[in-house]
Amino acid sequence: MSMESNKELPSKFISYYSKFTNKELTLLSFERVFGGASRETFRIQVKDKTGSEEKLILRRTQESSLIETSQSTEYLAYSAYQGTAVPVPAMVDIKEDEETLGAPFMLMQQLDGVEASPFTPDAYSPHEEKLGKQFWSILGEISKKDINDNFISQFENNSEDPCWKSELDKWVDVIKEDSISIEPILEAGIRKLYEDPPKDPQKKSLVHGDYRNGNFLFKDNKITGILDWEMAHIGDPLEDLGWALSPIWSWQDRQKPAYLIDRQEALSIWESSSEITIDKSDLNWWELFACIKGMAIWISAGNEFKTGKNVDPINLFSPWIPGDIHLEIILDILEGDLH
Amino acid sequence: MKPEINIALMNAAQEILTRFSPLIEDEYEQSRLNSWGALILISAMKFNQSYSSLAEENDSIINWLRKTKQTYSKDLIKEIDEVKVEEGVEQTILDEQNQLLRAILVKAHKEVDLKEDIELKKELLNLLREMHSHRKVSDLIGLLQQADS
Repeated sequence: MSMESNKELPSKFISYYSKFTNKELTLLSFERVFGGASRETFRIQVKDKTGSEEKLILRRTQESSLIETSQSTEYLAYSAYQGTAVPVPAMVDIKEDEETLGAPFMLMQQLDGVEASPFTPDAYSPHEEKLGKQFWSILGEISKKDINDNFISQFENNSEDPCWKSELDKWVDVIKEDSISIEPILEAGIRKLYEDPPKDPQKKSLVHGDYRNGNFLFKDNKITGILDWEMAHIGDPLEDLGWALSPIWSWQDRQKPAYLIDRQEALSIWESSSEITIDKSDLNWWELFACIKGMAIWISAGNEFKTGKNVDPINLFSPWIPGDIHLEIILDILEGDLH
Repeated sequence: MKPEINIALMNAAQEILTRFSPLIEDEYEQSRLNSWGALILISAMKFNQSYSSLAEENDSIINWLRKTKQTYSKDLIKEIDEVKVEEGVEQTILDEQNQLLRAILVKAHKEVDLKEDIELKKELLNLLREMHSHRKVSDLIGLLQQADS
């Protein structure tokens, strides 16, 4: 998406939204939010003739994104959890055409709260305890929800392969397609996953796909929103748990996953909330899988950068820092298995 | 003597972060520029080591493969014997050699995985850790946090 088209975006937006709401609206602010590479995100504030203000979030598809995902995935996931214990923004509109705003987009209400970087150790201080309990409990709620729900039932769920194989094959394909060098540590991790797969899940759930610190909003000691559902899919609930627990998200304090509370307490809260008993060896598998999935994402970003498709600095940062960290975690796991 | 490239990059990064970035009002553009500043700083700190690290890594891999050669299949031994690690070559040649050596190492690892020799497995993981430590930049994560603040 060119800078030029972004310059026209505010006026296009207010024209579209005035028509959509059938109100005469003025734009108070229109700011792009930095970070995330799958969609362009804009924070918007509008006012109507009575002086009533509205805060919105616009998520617009990028020409070149880190992971190609359908925006309907995110829309369905947000819709499924409206009015539940999983806080999500209210959806306003979704459009697949490119005429209205230059690319397909989704519009939602803006929630109170802020996001923190997953690489900032004290981001949640002094509320780690309360936020931590909510963080793991909400993840359990996501896993507990019936997948026959009107919205979740629209997700694809007809693979003959077990959950673990569908997901592993998918990410290994991304690695094969986008790798720009041979990485023996990653190869060893992938071999181990294929050689020693987990059992079928006790029940399938909607998997958020990127549930971690950095992808939720909080205000003081309360989580106000769970965001970034673009990788949501039906699968094994342990997948989200393994991803959220990954030491990459608490690299400078690995005892406290997501820089919140201790691992054991996190697992107890999740078990109680999800009503699923954790199989330790299966969870170990999903924790190694998290590294492979992460590597696929970082490799894909590096490929975008190296080929000049998208030179956003996040696509350089991703293979450099998270890529390095995930390789180190794979090594730790492989070494741990020898003891 | 001319100022070195890494010094030039380091100064450029510092000017970006402390001089130009504060002038930008748009939050998105400022964050993006700060990220560039931090990534240039990381590049500057690793710039001088990039050639020597790659050369050391190639040496480490071929030495280990030669040392453990007798444990591999005939085909793999032949591949190891055919490898030539040249010294004093351009970085692109060094890179090509590195990819070739890494591909052979992956094959060796597959064969090691099938054996019961725990010590050999540990040695191989030590080699992988040493290789990773030559290249990794994640130890400079603090620089990104400073740039972000």
